[in-house]
Amino acid sequence: MPDSKVLGQNYPRVDAADKVSGRSQYASDVYLPGMLMCKVLKSPKPHARILHIDTSRAQGRPGVRAIITGRDVPDARFGNGAVKDKRLFALDKVRYIGEPVAAVAAVDEITALEALDLIDVTYEDLPAVTDPIAALRPDAPLVHEDLPSYEGYKPSMRGNICTVLDADRGDVDAAFAQADHVFEDTFRSQGINQGYLEAMACVANVDPSGRINVWTSTQAPYQIRATLAAVIDRPMSRIRIIPMELGGGFGAKLRLCVEAYPVLLALHTGKPVKLIATREETFTLSGFRLPTIVYLKTGVRNDGTIVAREAISIFDMGAHLGAGVQSGVSHTLGPYNIPNYRMRSYAVYTNKIWAGSYRASGVADVTFAVESHTDIIARRLGLDPWEFRKLNAFNEGDLALQGGKIPRNGLHETMDAVKQHLGWPRTSKAGTGVGLAMCQWRSGSGPSTASVSLLEDGTVSLLTGSVDISGTDTVFAQITAETLGVDMNDVVIARRDTDLAPFTGPSGGSRIIYSQGKAVQMAAADARDKLIALAAEHLDVQPGMLTCADGRVYMTETPERGYTLGQLARMSLTSASGPIMGTAALSAMPFAPIFSTQAAEVSVDKETGKVRVVRFVQAQDVGVAINPMAVEGQIDGGAVQGIGRAITEEVVIKDGQILNPSLTTYLMPMAADVPSIENILVQVPTDDGPFGARAVAEPPGFGPPAAIANAIEDAVGVRIKELPLSAEKILRALHGEAPASTELDHDLLQQLRGSSGPE
Amino acid sequence: MPHSLSLTINGESYTLQVEPYCSLLDMLRDQLQLTGTKKGCDEGDCGACTVLMNGKTVTSCMVLALDARDQEITTVEGLRQDNTLHPVQAAFVQYGGVQCGFCTPGLIMSGVGLLLENPQPTEEEVRFAIGGNLCRCTGYSKVVQAILKAAETMQAQASTA
Repeated sequence: MPDSKVLGQNYPRVDAADKVSGRSQYASDVYLPGMLMCKVLKSPKPHARILHIDTSRAQGRPGVRAIITGRDVPDARFGNGAVKDKRLFALDKVRYIGEPVAAVAAVDEITALEALDLIDVTYEDLPAVTDPIAALRPDAPLVHEDLPSYEGYKPSMRGNICTVLDADRGDVDAAFAQADHVFEDTFRSQGINQGYLEAMACVANVDPSGRINVWTSTQAPYQIRATLAAVIDRPMSRIRIIPMELGGGFGAKLRLCVEAYPVLLALHTGKPVKLIATREETFTLSGFRLPTIVYLKTGVRNDGTIVAREAISIFDMGAHLGAGVQSGVSHTLGPYNIPNYRMRSYAVYTNKIWAGSYRASGVADVTFAVESHTDIIARRLGLDPWEFRKLNAFNEGDLALQGGKIPRNGLHETMDAVKQHLGWPRTSKAGTGVGLAMCQWRSGSGPSTASVSLLEDGTVSLLTGSVDISGTDTVFAQITAETLGVDMNDVVIARRDTDLAPFTGPSGGSRIIYSQGKAVQMAAADARDKLIALAAEHLDVQPGMLTCADGRVYMTETPERGYTLGQLARMSLTSASGPIMGTAALSAMPFAPIFSTQAAEVSVDKETGKVRVVRFVQAQDVGVAINPMAVEGQIDGGAVQGIGRAITEEVVIKDGQILNPSLTTYLMPMAADVPSIENILVQVPTDDGPFGARAVAEPPGFGPPAAIANAIEDAVGVRIKELPLSAEKILRALHGEAPASTELDHDLLQQLRGSSGPE
Repeated sequence: MPHSLSLTINGESYTLQVEPYCSLLDMLRDQLQLTGTKKGCDEGDCGACTVLMNGKTVTSCMVLALDARDQEITTVEGLRQDNTLHPVQAAFVQYGGVQCGFCTPGLIMSGVGLLLENPQPTEEEVRFAIGGNLCRCTGYSKVVQAILKAAETMQAQASTA
């Protein structure tokens, strides 16, 4: 950490005072005169042909201003993934319960809801397939019959398979044959809702000139602009996305979701139209994570060295391809150096709502499998779970899956830190146990832009297109202040929309500080260099003789000679090069892995099967913590999301119907359910991130399910391989029932092993 | 058919016309544009709409506006006094109790409500008191810390007053 007044300081968030005062504006807080309210009619059927839609009764309801269906909008497909397999409204058939069929604009919400009841849709039921393994069978109903006609179609897409990924190294079969021990386990995760507190909300208004203004809750204003332009068939320049304060997203708000409905209705009516999703609609109108099945086979030598891994993953995508399948080939080795592997990852269509993104989609599911399996192996071999991991963990210079070599990182430091903090190995009291899990993620990359302007009094304005998640604006202000040598209070973060700020990547995937923050640092450095050049010209000295710090540019040897930034900003107005403005743009950043080690201590009530997390410790390599309080806050939250994923959260879906789309029955952790998270920030700087920072957001949520499953086995000797680790499953296992488990039959496994998948 | 309703909100008296099915939350937001109070679920589960009614916390989505007749309501907008943040608000700022901010007004109202009843709570009591407020960003650690620190500040202020 360089000596700094700004870096490493716990600055409160720049928006905190507004937020604690209830003055921050979220999309649902936008009220425009004459505004109509929008509601969406959704399919009650998992799979059915639409024979007829009659909106006449609804049209006749007083207060209804417009109704649109798939026949009233441009015939355009879009996608959440590589293939365009999705429409705004179901056209000829519905593929899942919840698929939008029509949308209504009315004078108020109640009238709009009443109008939905008056829309008559005649369906003809089709056989539905809702289980991903059943969807792989040759006789399974097809969710999409005409895949080859879709843009983005690939020949590997067959039947209900929408993606096949593979990765191979070495001679995996020979390595298994030579291994002293071979272990096989299959794991299954559950449906998980992202649980953002602010449901989707959007207001659209069309200017008489044709300009479309969209106030929305999004992580990705530019990506939404592009998709919206395509589906409503207007140029991007006609659309202005105004990202409002984001009340949580965690991936759910990375893509076009509800925005098109109020936009289309605003175009139809000429009036502002608002949509606020209900809590139920955060389950039925926006995708969440669906279950993932992971089969792992591992060959180990007597000394504990892992020599081979086979990993076959099946991701349930619901009716439309989304994120996650990549983690079947990027994360099924764990943070271990395994020389021979065969990885296959399948994304499969089913008649359920499309799989949405959530905090490194799929990686938490896969990490549950890998880190449970790791513990099972260590226990069977009589090895200490920490030592077994330590022996196999990546070292700097090992081959990276992403290509190239593993760069300098803090993986081993995180392991050592947790060992020391916990006093590992420990003997647990009866009914209590400790479990470990290791997590890894790449630091997110992608296009990033920033510009920094010097104001005439020497204060600074920073403009980026990035939506603030978890305090990123505050860290941008710190990066700018540090680079220009000004006070934090002298940096303002400009309010932005897609008209004002140039294109940038979305706020997600742990990319903001590492990549967007780098662009901010470069833009501030550009401004600083221009300030120094201007001062050098006026002082008639070489730029290298000058320092920019403490709000001034001055001669390093004779600090009294120089100018304040305000003086320079004013001088620049009449200089040859004009006002001081620093800009930067980049498209990608180098691979900089993040590792963390987590440990859970649990107590298990043998009477009820209930698990309580008594302590949760995590050590994460954050590179450099520019704002430790913000980093801790973010990894606290991630860990608690992971604890929910481990123990209580499950979207229960039966025959395509979501049974618990409510916070009464979808159980996220409350304050009394969790301990204060114990954090250790390991700081091994990156070469390229701003001031050495790494990304932070994703790993904390990966480890808890496995760490807790491992702790449960340590506590009561029961191994659960299906999430969540509910009291019911544990109690049944304690009573001697074999825990429910998913087994892939031999023939299916054999087919999935081939790189072309089942016939 | 709207009914007439008189009540006090943040120290100011109001007489309004509201529908019998209108919740206190919808009245605050849609009629008065007091949008600091948030709608997270509209079914009493998330706590984002927490306000004080006569000094006690209620989830305003679960209270009919007409049931607030002649009551004193305090929303997050009513906590600032003389342009200064309430100690609970200030502690949320200083100790990182705020992230996305959507649950924050409700959490702050629960914290203020707790400290009115119990000025020196333990950590366990704080966790119990905010047990009806869901937060997905913070994991609660810094929220709990902020409320405990606010209690200390308010104790210190009370003893010097």
